[in-house]
Amino acid sequence: MKAHEKYEVFIGLEIHIHLKTRSKMFCSCKAHYGDEPNTNVCPVCLGYPGTLPLVNEKAMELGYLVARSLGCKTAERSSFARKNYFYPDMPKNYQISQFEEPVGTDGAVEADFGGGASRKIRIHDVHLEEDAGKMIHAGDVTLLDYNRAGFPLLEIVTEPDLKSGEETEAFLRDFQRLVRYLGVSDGNMDEGSMKCDANISINLPGKGLGTKVELKNMNSPRFVRLALNHEIIRQAEVLDAGGSLVQETRLWNENRDITEIMRRKEAADDYRYFPEPDIPPFFPDEAFLEKVENGMVELPLEKKRRLHSEYGLSREQAEFIHDEAETAHFFEETVKSGASPQQAASWLSSDIRKLLNRENLSLVESPLTAGRFSSLLKLINDGRISGKIAKKVLEKIFKDNLDPETIVENEGWSQISDPVELTSLVEKVMKENPGVVSAVRAGDVRQKGFLMGQVMRYSDGKAAPELTGKILDEKLEEKE
Amino acid sequence: MAQAQDEWSVTAELARLELDENEALRLSQEAERMRELFLTMSDADVENLEPTTHALAQGNRIRKDYVNPFDSVERLIEASPEQEDDFFLIPNVL
Amino acid sequence: MPPLSPDWSGVLGNPERKDLYFRQVRETDRNIGSFLSFGPEESGAEIPREGSLTGIPVAVKDNIAVSGRPLTCGSRMLENLKAPYTATAVRRLEDEGAVVVGKTNLDEFGMGSSNENSALGTTVNPWDPQRVPGGSSGGSAAAVAAGLVPLALGSDTGGSVRQPANFCGVYGLKPTYGSVSRFGLTAYASSLEVIGSFTRDIDLMEKAFGIMSGQDDNDQSSLAYSPAAADSSRVVMLKVEPGMLEEPVARAYKETGEALKSAGYSVEEVDLPFLDLVVPAYYTIATAEASANLARFNGIRYGYAPDFAENPAELMKKARHEGFGKEVKLRILLGTYVLRSGFQDQYYGKAQKIRTLIRKELSAVFSSSDLLLMPVFPTRAFLKNDPGMDDYKQRLADVFTCLANLSGLPALAVPAGVEKGLPAGVQFMAPAFAENRLFTVARDLSDAFPLQTAPNFMDIGGLL
Repeated sequence: MKAHEKYEVFIGLEIHIHLKTRSKMFCSCKAHYGDEPNTNVCPVCLGYPGTLPLVNEKAMELGYLVARSLGCKTAERSSFARKNYFYPDMPKNYQISQFEEPVGTDGAVEADFGGGASRKIRIHDVHLEEDAGKMIHAGDVTLLDYNRAGFPLLEIVTEPDLKSGEETEAFLRDFQRLVRYLGVSDGNMDEGSMKCDANISINLPGKGLGTKVELKNMNSPRFVRLALNHEIIRQAEVLDAGGSLVQETRLWNENRDITEIMRRKEAADDYRYFPEPDIPPFFPDEAFLEKVENGMVELPLEKKRRLHSEYGLSREQAEFIHDEAETAHFFEETVKSGASPQQAASWLSSDIRKLLNRENLSLVESPLTAGRFSSLLKLINDGRISGKIAKKVLEKIFKDNLDPETIVENEGWSQISDPVELTSLVEKVMKENPGVVSAVRAGDVRQKGFLMGQVMRYSDGKAAPELTGKILDEKLEEKE
Repeated sequence: MAQAQDEWSVTAELARLELDENEALRLSQEAERMRELFLTMSDADVENLEPTTHALAQGNRIRKDYVNPFDSVERLIEASPEQEDDFFLIPNVL
Repeated sequence: MPPLSPDWSGVLGNPERKDLYFRQVRETDRNIGSFLSFGPEESGAEIPREGSLTGIPVAVKDNIAVSGRPLTCGSRMLENLKAPYTATAVRRLEDEGAVVVGKTNLDEFGMGSSNENSALGTTVNPWDPQRVPGGSSGGSAAAVAAGLVPLALGSDTGGSVRQPANFCGVYGLKPTYGSVSRFGLTAYASSLEVIGSFTRDIDLMEKAFGIMSGQDDNDQSSLAYSPAAADSSRVVMLKVEPGMLEEPVARAYKETGEALKSAGYSVEEVDLPFLDLVVPAYYTIATAEASANLARFNGIRYGYAPDFAENPAELMKKARHEGFGKEVKLRILLGTYVLRSGFQDQYYGKAQKIRTLIRKELSAVFSSSDLLLMPVFPTRAFLKNDPGMDDYKQRLADVFTCLANLSGLPALAVPAGVEKGLPAGVQFMAPAFAENRLFTVARDLSDAFPLQTAPNFMDIGGLL
């Protein structure tokens, strides 16, 4: 990309995630999507006079956990602040957020950009805040639903260390994996449990940061990539033509694949941050920090690398298996009970993945347990069933929710491995197809496949392929 | 004084206070008077002191993450100046 | 003089007496205007609960929530609002058998020192209807002074309980910050204010305070209450320049010092050189917090909304323009200004550091004394619309009362005689959680300054 070669690119992100708590950030209303409008509200989250914010312990814990997992310095003293601005979806017309003492600062995450390249992306801060309500525009009016007002949000601000749309997309997907691994958020950009705004500037090399443009309204990691790459070109074109850039906010238009200036003029807002008087400062004690530590898990990048080094998986296989913590756990459980990593990984990334997609299930939801998977592989490796039969057994596991041994027995799918039985089958086939036999003996090896196929037909696919092939070869060798 | 009044109209806008001309003049005059009173603080030698937000604080206050729904939500919607079904209603933002 | 502690338990539980009581109060209040709304529970004739306050009628300032009753805050903005929940302090009193009988008038949103800033009614001083009852809790002070109720609640942000108590000749307590839950108190200045009380009976005040105080799960700034040491014999008295106080006030102040000595207290004069920083620091912080606390009033979820607006921005501006009074607009404007980028360090930041200075200085004062005696206000109750007491002058006069709010320390307004038909009084400040000392010194002075009764005091004796 020409723009990339000429200019240095600086991208920083502001990511918001909804924390998975039962109640809202500052009141005991349910924090839940999809309920009837204005049913999860109370005087506190509607900003009634005389009400006060009550900090949610779980939200605090999850905030510290994320900060910890991003390598941040976690606050010994954390406090809240009021961010003052007026908007109809804001019940108090100030948002309780954190300003001077957020839960985490000065972190860094290693990001894997593929092809062995990885780099540390610095985290500026991690802070807690509350969400606003929802507005639905309908003709002359706007309808307000405050169910979401007061939802606990965690904002993660990175330094402008990302250099391209591709890097940013990869980083975001890593980040989604991270919050899902930790169980702190669903991290779904299309559902709204995660939002991402980007700040981007370009400049001639060595000149430092350029004029910052803020990008909003990107509802998936893919759109983030497209929007940023588009913006880089747009900005480069302006600079190439000798113009200068304006600090502004632009929205990604996913229908037209371009960024556009935002109509609402927010830029004039002075948030007048000041410390929240209704909430005393928070000092995490040992018991609290212990709870936070207990929430730590092996992080995605570590797991991916370990899958590669410990189990010898390829990068693609490790990428797929580590994408969800449940898959990785499933994989390791399966290997623990004796299966070969390669075999397990191969099945997981092909047949099993296809079935899960088709049935629209996750591994955890599916009837395939690690135990059943392990048994299935053992059946193959013991020669009790062929690979082909195994695929049928897998389908049956999903359909009938039974153990593989039971299925094989019920269906009578045990592989025929008795040499006597196989020999008689081979002889039968050879006797019925003398012409083919002669042709093969004369040198047309391809037709051997036809003979194998006939054996399979007569055995309902249960003839053990390798042994059958060996017997066939022997018989073919024999002189007439 | 004109410049001062200008500052006060920027401030009024930030506070979503719409002031008609008379009110704006009167209020900015009174505000100026108070601002001059505030400026008498500048002599105080307090640079080395930490600011006080919480005069008396006893330690962490935190709420367990349980759901406890409000018992009369309908009252809250009924109290709204404008509603439709279960929504609060305002003129369209766009 | 009517007895100070009538037995209320047989009044509100008895349909005839209850009726008589409500009628009598309505009649008497016609000339005073303490109440913005008054009457028995809509739900009907409920017998008051059993408890240490059974049957005691309580008046509650109309910025404190009582479920089902108006919560106007003296403002057009909330003229039609009914509270959907009850403040913790009120609920605790109700749990002990007290009965809320009405909501009292106040300066709009608690902003003022005369009660003249109410948009919804006028209250006069029961001692002289040409004079103000004080503010911002003027209605509650007047209700107690006129004998309509034995106990009333108010809120004290910069003196709003003590000053009207002082003007109306009753006791007014501003408790330690955080010792009484703010849940249900419409916020004006969150870090400065607390729910306070008015009575003519110190024992009742102490009892009520004991019931209301203590940590509340609905207020994370509320504190666990653990009383300070009760020793109260060393008093320091603020040195006041001659001419600073109106003659009768100066006289009452001096006489109090002497009465204390007679009662066995040691009294020494003390200088507080930082006193001239108190009013600017107070108003900087109070208006800053108010500008945020009042932002929620924008005509959308409850309260006043204009008949028509083209868009939400106009809706919000019109609601606030038509709903708020002049003093409220001024304080919101000031508060927004002192927080603005480029100004915040110089104003709000500075004020917060001055607040630390004040706390340190007072801590030093109390390291060698038990109580601080000060005036409440330079004058007694002033005349309605007094041109010599304009809004600006009134704010400057908050100097004695703001100290307790900036430091979070408790203070009690104590009546000290009546001169030419108008009460005068003083206030005592104590370290945090030392309300016990305040009650003790008030009792110790009650012989020297027996509580006097306003003219046309409503005698409920006939009811009992």
